[in-house]
Amino acid sequence: MHDETMASGVYLPELDVIPARDTTEVHRLRFHGNAGDYFRIWIVNVALSLVTLGIYSAWATVRTRRYMYSNTTLGGSPFDYLARPLPILKGRLLTVFIFAIYAFAGRIAPALQAVAALIVAGFMPWLIVKSMMFRARYSSWRGLRFYFSDDYAGAYKWYLGVYFLMGIPFLLIMLVSMMGHPGFGMLLGFAAFTGIYPWIKGHQQEWMVDNHHFGGKSFSFDDGIGNYYGVYIKAVGVALVWFLPCIALFSTAAVLINKGNPQAFNPKMPSPYFILGVYAVMAPAYLGVWTFVHTRMTNLLYNQAQLGQYRFRSTLAYWPMLGLYLTNALAVLLTIGLALPWARIRTARYRSEHLEVVGEGDLSDFVRDAFAHGEIGATATEMDSLLGIDIGL
Amino acid sequence: MVPAIYFDGRSTHATRVDAWRDGDMLRWRGANGMQEWSAPWTAIEPSARVTGVPFTLHVHDGGHLQIDHDALPADWFPRHHLIEHVVDGLERRWTAALAGIVVIVASLFVLFEFGLPWAADRVSAHLPRAVEQAMGKQSLAALEGRLLMPTALSVERQSHLQSVFHHFVVDMEGVPDARVAFYGSKALGANAFALPGGTIVFTDELAQAMPDDDAFIAVIAHELGHQANHHMLRQVLRSSGVFIVAGLLMGDVTSMGGIAAGIPAFLVDSHYSRGFEEDADRFAFRALASRSIDPVAFVHAMQALERAHPELKGEELRYASSHPLTSARIARANAASLQFRAAKTAAAAHSNR
Repeated sequence: MHDETMASGVYLPELDVIPARDTTEVHRLRFHGNAGDYFRIWIVNVALSLVTLGIYSAWATVRTRRYMYSNTTLGGSPFDYLARPLPILKGRLLTVFIFAIYAFAGRIAPALQAVAALIVAGFMPWLIVKSMMFRARYSSWRGLRFYFSDDYAGAYKWYLGVYFLMGIPFLLIMLVSMMGHPGFGMLLGFAAFTGIYPWIKGHQQEWMVDNHHFGGKSFSFDDGIGNYYGVYIKAVGVALVWFLPCIALFSTAAVLINKGNPQAFNPKMPSPYFILGVYAVMAPAYLGVWTFVHTRMTNLLYNQAQLGQYRFRSTLAYWPMLGLYLTNALAVLLTIGLALPWARIRTARYRSEHLEVVGEGDLSDFVRDAFAHGEIGATATEMDSLLGIDIGL
Repeated sequence: MVPAIYFDGRSTHATRVDAWRDGDMLRWRGANGMQEWSAPWTAIEPSARVTGVPFTLHVHDGGHLQIDHDALPADWFPRHHLIEHVVDGLERRWTAALAGIVVIVASLFVLFEFGLPWAADRVSAHLPRAVEQAMGKQSLAALEGRLLMPTALSVERQSHLQSVFHHFVVDMEGVPDARVAFYGSKALGANAFALPGGTIVFTDELAQAMPDDDAFIAVIAHELGHQANHHMLRQVLRSSGVFIVAGLLMGDVTSMGGIAAGIPAFLVDSHYSRGFEEDADRFAFRALASRSIDPVAFVHAMQALERAHPELKGEELRYASSHPLTSARIARANAASLQFRAAKTAAAAHSNR
């Protein structure tokens, strides 16, 4: 989807590349960080952020990110995080301000908050583009920066426009139910949903990859929309396998406990133990499904991407990832957050050790591109890290 | 000579070089000795020191030299990144890490205990009345028909209590728009709470449990205390402040933020309420005394409330706005009553003389 004419200057150096090299090299990403070092960096920076009422947090972010980036190496060279603290601080203050208004609007009038949410939703694609541009602009490898095209039209198409298609399943359910077949309507609606959702997700990944550039080459993406149907159909199966036993277990337990006093359960004001129980049962099940989708989608993202003559091979596996996330969550909860650095380090290690760059070359044939690498504000990226938009990179 | 890797910023080709300082120039030479580069010392922008992270010396034209973390001579860039130099020193020490934990715990305590309430009170003091009234209307609308049903009190009883109420609040300072509304509520039981903007919700169950008009007025006076001090608004602001701060601290672990943020919010809120309760009690005792009602009526109201909730006897009794019925509160009410009677006797003696 990238603009070939704009990038035409970029492709010239590729003519010099000798195409016939029959040795395919595999370059594995490596992670060299260790939990001890990262813990000290993290805790000192959190303490300083608190003492300075959050002002230092921008410097803290830069230091911790630099640690993570620079400890990830490809072909023996580290990645580099180049963002400056001051723009991040500015973006963060603005984000807090916006979020405070939003939170307060909800307390005064839910209608006001709904309007605010609509406004934010309208800006979301723009936010995603800006955020991706920021990330790319300040990530570099061997002295060359990444670049993300400012394709706002594409963002509005794939992150807002297509969601209107999601109305189709609901319309189907309503129409068929009105004709007197509610069961059939639900089935049809579900079928339409499974037809549309993976298609959207696949195209979002394609858009994301297509707009990234590095070293005079543009990332390209295989057309493999069919793969996404496989992921989401399997995910439905995984969800059933996780949730059905969990719900059965929980309801039996709840019934047994409540047997003595039938009036104890009040659906309008459930007891805190009930709510806690729901969380304790649902969180692992939710994590089980989320991890499946996340793992498979990450693999698809990299395995369909291509940069010049290089391809990527992502081999994240479901059970190790789930084990990793479960133990991380438990450790973080049990240590009231102190295990967070350890959790991040082992996740980063697992992820980088399961990503390879494969191609005929030694990675030294990238050149500076012709894009204008101007400074990019940090507000968008701060906003989306607060809103938790799952960009999936 | 310092071993380094040179990237010219035009390609990803890595060149192993040796770098050295030559007066006010930085020079580096390819390992095979074929090529040599140089840059003025002042044009070089070094990266800040971070444990285990190689140094990057950015040169004017977009190129950079990458030098291993331990290989950079200490005297090369002593005046760059002074703050981060200090921070890096801290990051290397386990003692500093332990001190960091202590600092975090202490500052979180100060923040939640003093910082947030202070900020919330500043904000609520400057909020227009219209906002408070809108909040009250919204929450009443949300409760009506769900938790609050139409009252079953007789019209006579209602108008009697209303007239007692009006007689009490007329010309009272700090509560300009006070009104009382009766609702039946099986879910809430004997209960009363003050919504922002002036409405006091009083349940039929509580009205029936009150032994006399003075006890009714004592509960009303307590709720007026909440209203005069804008407790609901301050509470709301404080809890949303907790959410904002918790969200910031959680940073990018947004997926866990929802659950984790709720816990401190809950703990902090129930604590704040207690402080507010005492303020409201103080207001009530003063208001009762100013209308020549013995604050002991408050004790009677509390005892009636306890009878209305037999299942909670002995425990800390709370009703919807979470009023802890502790012996301490009753003791304070009794003390206020003693003071009231002493003042009355003194006044009587004075007028007799």
